[in-house]
Amino acid sequence: MIKTDVIIIGGGATGCGIARDLALRGIPHCLVEKGDFAAGATGACHGLLHSGSRYVVSDPIAAKECYDENIILRKIGEKCVEQTGGLFVRLPGDSKLYRERFLRSCEEIGIPAEVISSTKALDLVPNLNPEIEEAIKVPDCSIDPFRLCMLNIATSQRRDGIIFIRHKVTEIVKSHGHCIGVKATDQVTGDIREIRGNVIVNATGAWSHLVASLAGNEVPLTLSKGSIVITNHRLTNMVINRLRPPSDGDIVVPNEAVCLAGTTSLMVEDPDKSRIESTEVDTIISEAGRMIPHFNNTRIIRAFSGVRPLLKSQKSDSREISRGFQIINHENGMYSIVGGKLTTFRLMAEKMVDTIMNYYGLKTPCATAEKPLDGQEELSGYPLSKRLADMKNIVCECELVTRQEVERIIKQTGTRYVGDIQHRTRLGMGPCQGGFCTFRALGIMHEKSIISPEQSMSALRDFLQRRFRGIRYCLWGDQLREEQLVEYIYLGILAMEKPQ
Amino acid sequence: MSVIEYDVIIIGAGVTGFTAGTRLAERGLKVAVVTTGEPTACLSTGCIDVCNGDHNPLHGVTHLPEEHPFHLISQAAIREALDNFANAMTDMGIPYIGTPEENRRILSALGTYKTTCMVPVTMQAAPQNADDDIHIITFSGLKDFYPSYIISRRKNASFSTYDAGVSTTMGIAANFEREDFLETFIPWLGKLNIREDKIAFPAVLGLESAAKIVKKIEDRLKRAVFEIPTIPPSMPGRRLFNALKDYFRKKGGTIYWAWPVAGVEKTGKIIEAVVTESEGRPNSLNARAFVLATGSFVGGGLHAQRDTIVEKVFNLPVHVPGLRETWFDNDYFSFNHGIGKAGIIVDSSFRPVGSAWENIFVCGGILANTEILKSGCGHGLALATGYAAAKSCAEYIR
Repeated sequence: MIKTDVIIIGGGATGCGIARDLALRGIPHCLVEKGDFAAGATGACHGLLHSGSRYVVSDPIAAKECYDENIILRKIGEKCVEQTGGLFVRLPGDSKLYRERFLRSCEEIGIPAEVISSTKALDLVPNLNPEIEEAIKVPDCSIDPFRLCMLNIATSQRRDGIIFIRHKVTEIVKSHGHCIGVKATDQVTGDIREIRGNVIVNATGAWSHLVASLAGNEVPLTLSKGSIVITNHRLTNMVINRLRPPSDGDIVVPNEAVCLAGTTSLMVEDPDKSRIESTEVDTIISEAGRMIPHFNNTRIIRAFSGVRPLLKSQKSDSREISRGFQIINHENGMYSIVGGKLTTFRLMAEKMVDTIMNYYGLKTPCATAEKPLDGQEELSGYPLSKRLADMKNIVCECELVTRQEVERIIKQTGTRYVGDIQHRTRLGMGPCQGGFCTFRALGIMHEKSIISPEQSMSALRDFLQRRFRGIRYCLWGDQLREEQLVEYIYLGILAMEKPQ
Repeated sequence: MSVIEYDVIIIGAGVTGFTAGTRLAERGLKVAVVTTGEPTACLSTGCIDVCNGDHNPLHGVTHLPEEHPFHLISQAAIREALDNFANAMTDMGIPYIGTPEENRRILSALGTYKTTCMVPVTMQAAPQNADDDIHIITFSGLKDFYPSYIISRRKNASFSTYDAGVSTTMGIAANFEREDFLETFIPWLGKLNIREDKIAFPAVLGLESAAKIVKKIEDRLKRAVFEIPTIPPSMPGRRLFNALKDYFRKKGGTIYWAWPVAGVEKTGKIIEAVVTESEGRPNSLNARAFVLATGSFVGGGLHAQRDTIVEKVFNLPVHVPGLRETWFDNDYFSFNHGIGKAGIIVDSSFRPVGSAWENIFVCGGILANTEILKSGCGHGLALATGYAAAKSCAEYIR
């Protein structure tokens, strides 16, 4: 049995942020995550570090929070934030009234917003639709959500935080009606681990109502599905937003070599069953194509959905529900933290930990806004020049990942999942979506005796099935051609059998 | 613009195109193959799949759905196409074994069995069940072959690793063509004192001379040796392609390499010429008939757009299997994705249905309703339809 002070359930940005905050205040804690880090909404978002301007008209409080956090994260997280800047573009026919309200609210909140001519905007982003009327420049940035989680966790790990990924909380242990611990099942071995603590923080996003119910608690949630498509090219170096009230397909965010475009907003019931649909893909492409015409003929390599955990509201359009967050004290040793945005994760963590500190009458102040994120110095250790120097050992040709890098991650994490290697190296994130390199990565894994060879076939099967979920709705053009080749390799050349 | 006259122009340099081209050239016609580049055959295992639905592929063919293009060809013609192919390959030094009446199995790089019909002689010794003891040889740094996949599925198997000095499929294969390499490698192999009856290699035993190299190792080690095909680049696929290409040339055919077709010239119901672009200069290739053998999506014969599927050389009508949502199943392993039915529908003379042209013949992977993975009919279909379309084309010209 493990004993600690605070048990955090959930390894998304919020959970990882709470772990970092607790670590910096010197409070023992343990984080339990059922999958990998950033496996829920954190990893399924478009990687935008909001300037807040998206919400200035509809939700000024959330907008202000976003802007303040934007400034903090740019300062403390240089290596996971790309300071792209953003444009809100106004197309012919878009409301001028909205433009006025937008500018006025930005000024009131203090978000720098500069109106620029269409000529100037096209200078900044040559792929923009030349018919735009004008653009407003704001300090939007692009952020790598997975890296963000890893850097937050690094602080916790350096200060004796206990971390369990691939452990699903299956029971909340109670004594006299009070939560005193959790039982977590190792998703690989099936072993059950018991962890005891004084406080349980439920930071499980779209799953928080389910986790809360294990302790007999309720979390009123509305689940809103948002879908995103990824292009094979970086069509813009700046974040491009549509200058109109939030709606489908109004944003394109550059990230590394690709762009993410989204989103949609549809209410769903079950966070594990949300799926993207063809119509959503088409909507996003045609809407993004109005801002960046190339979008209509660029190659789409994948599409996915994330589920936003929004606070329950009477409003029927999930876009009108506040993106603010709330801490729920269940009065039995469990707290749930719901709502919010990736951009405000640090603030959410701060408020959550403040609440716990108050309860125990402790005074150590929050330090997360001042200290740079730990572990950033290691991030630039694998530049392109090094990858290319080892050309013959490249196992993922799309993203130039070498065998050594894969082996290093296997050694470091002891992982049994290809997905974990993917997140940490970008292996399989390119145009073939792991079509070639997965066979290799799994081969290396059982060569290193990480997984038994018997497990490799089912791992490969699972991977291909999951991978297909992401590309199934983006298959036309070159992506369909590539997919036919990959199918031919696995089902033809390698003669994979139909699962029994 | 230069103008060159032929009897028949074939578009596509894959198994289908060369089969049709050779057949026409053998009849004394002046034939040219026009291609943008290497075909998908170079990515294949080199094996000739005919139909995997029955132990006897020729029986299997009769049970395919009625719209399957195999039904356009008689059993005798299928057999003739396969026999001719086998003779040609023996002639070119890459003998194949197997008969059209019997499917066999080869070991895949995942340790599963792939059902096929005719295989390169270098795969002849592949075990037919899990009982055979095998010893696998792999090479340092070779990233497309992992013996443990195979070992996990067999009763008795082990492996050794050789450092060939290079780590790519092509590089190792090139080494095997060198006498001095073999004279170092074979003694090393001997010293392993392999107990198992059979020695397995990834398919890297030579660029062209694999059959001889396998024989040499077998003679020296007194053990059966076989190759296991793995992910592209595939040496058995390249050997097949090179042999077909050289055989076509030997029969008098001409190849226009890297000459993409950019347009066509037509009069009435007749295509007069294809216009190709090479080094930026347009060339008009005139012919009395044209054979379209550009393959399916991977080969570049079919192009999927968001709402439809097109054929770009002659703009022929394409059978589109429903709306985009129905092109793929949610289950990756269904072997039944709707997209497998996409392609050109032809009549019994292999002319495209619904098109105005009377001198175009279509064959191979670009045909509709082939469902290649589901019916297991890859190169066998290419050989048979290439052969049959050539016959139809020759009759038209006469």
